[in-house]
Amino acid sequence: MAASGSGGSRADNGYGSQQPRRRKGPGALATAYLVIYNVVMTAGWLVIAVGLVRAYLAKGSYHSLYYSIEKPLKFFQTGALLESHKYLLIAKYLSGIVPSSVVLTAFQVMSRVFLTWAVTHSVKEVQTEDSVLLFVVAWTITEIIRYSFYTFSLLNHLPYLIKWARYTLFIVLYPMGVSGELLTIYAALPFVRQSGLYSINLPNKYNFSFDYYTFLILVMISYIPIFPQLYFHMLHQRRKVLSHTEEHKKSE
Amino acid sequence: VEPNATIREIRLMFHKLYPRWYPARQSIKLDPKGKSLRDEEILQHLPVGTTATLYFKDLGPQIGWTTVFLIEYTGPLFIYFLFYFRMPFVYGLDERFTSSPHPVVNLACICHSFHYIKRLIETVFVHRFSHGTMPLRNIVKNCLYYWGFAAWLAYYINHPLYTPPSYGKKQINFAVIMFLLCEAGNFSIHVALSDLRRNGSKIRKIPYPTKNPFTWLFFFVSCPNYTYEVGTWISFTIMTQCVPVGLFTLLCFIQMTIWAKDKHCTYLREFKDYPSLRMPIIPFLL
Repeated sequence: MAASGSGGSRADNGYGSQQPRRRKGPGALATAYLVIYNVVMTAGWLVIAVGLVRAYLAKGSYHSLYYSIEKPLKFFQTGALLESHKYLLIAKYLSGIVPSSVVLTAFQVMSRVFLTWAVTHSVKEVQTEDSVLLFVVAWTITEIIRYSFYTFSLLNHLPYLIKWARYTLFIVLYPMGVSGELLTIYAALPFVRQSGLYSINLPNKYNFSFDYYTFLILVMISYIPIFPQLYFHMLHQRRKVLSHTEEHKKSE
Repeated sequence: VEPNATIREIRLMFHKLYPRWYPARQSIKLDPKGKSLRDEEILQHLPVGTTATLYFKDLGPQIGWTTVFLIEYTGPLFIYFLFYFRMPFVYGLDERFTSSPHPVVNLACICHSFHYIKRLIETVFVHRFSHGTMPLRNIVKNCLYYWGFAAWLAYYINHPLYTPPSYGKKQINFAVIMFLLCEAGNFSIHVALSDLRRNGSKIRKIPYPTKNPFTWLFFFVSCPNYTYEVGTWISFTIMTQCVPVGLFTLLCFIQMTIWAKDKHCTYLREFKDYPSLRMPIIPFLL
């Protein structure tokens, strides 16, 4: 852009040096709201978990379990999107910067909503795939632990078990979820190609084209740089959080 | 060091000691978390005692703004030509070197090229930058953005299956006139801003409208150059009736609004008598 002077990226530190950074924790009302929100989310994912178990016991096999939990899954996953979007904005405006973990979490929520709506819901043929079950189970366990972690943290009464679970189980659950997601997208590809889902071709009045098939392939490729980053970030967090607790315990 | 030494001199001395860190790369501050000190600051005017502690931060390899702009703007210019002349690898061998039956496609090429040539000329002859340099990695990011979008929109405009605008000649003529007016406006503003800093002075002044009617937008807006720029791209969108161009325009608008608001806030902070009617980028609205 033509800009005589500033504008564009600054060479030195740019952000928020005008206002004093007011770093206050959430007040009582905000805390109450957050607690209720996290309790609701925990309950929601428990509902999904219970639904899965019940359907499995009823059917005797693990195929087609998606249908039994389809609605609550969509509801709670999408609800998470709206909420985390709000958190992102709040974090940005209050502190002027967005901590990396918020960005990463936002990324995760976006990718999950994408999987839920743009892949699993949209391509009916993949709903019976086992890979769907794979990521649903991974998400369910992760989310139950994560939201109860938040709930207990807000109440300043965090059992070590929950903290341990949150920072340890991901080691298995994360790759599990990612595999399920990738396999599902891969399974959806031929159906997208066949039906031309969400794709638009030339010529048209608006001179635009979009190939959903190629887009999905690009999404799959994007997992390659992104997944390791998230994974190692969590591993790093694990080392920090769990060793810190040990020191704390030793000093008591 | 003498008490009346400027930060600039300190930077030069530092550079002699550490040849790797040339002055533009040094960020010198009074406080590790504070803002970088400017070149013109004089040591004895700063809040320090008889000995001053200065903190150094390496800003990484730097590149001059002029260089950056030249690279950023030459890219789109030539990338567009690749698509306009339909290089074989773009639309397939069957369509190589053919030309479009639609006159608007030629017009779009002329306008797009005119826009970037104008920017290049301004970079060399008109703009006066307050910061000399920016970090090197920015250039990768910026080029990806400009060049990428240029390729994307050029692909659709010059495509064999391109559809001309729905309202035909009326739409195109309107767009061309709007384009020319906005380009003229943008240029006038750049000249006016550059005139504020004649003789290489770095003092900031409030820009005011001059005799040139295009600069009268200064009555209503702090950054009319951005306003005109958005206008240019809107007119290009109308001219080509192409969604990618529209998306590019939208992104430009968002980015420039952010810059305009920043600039506006800076002006308000620095000048107590800043005209209150002015909005950052859109008169009365934004």
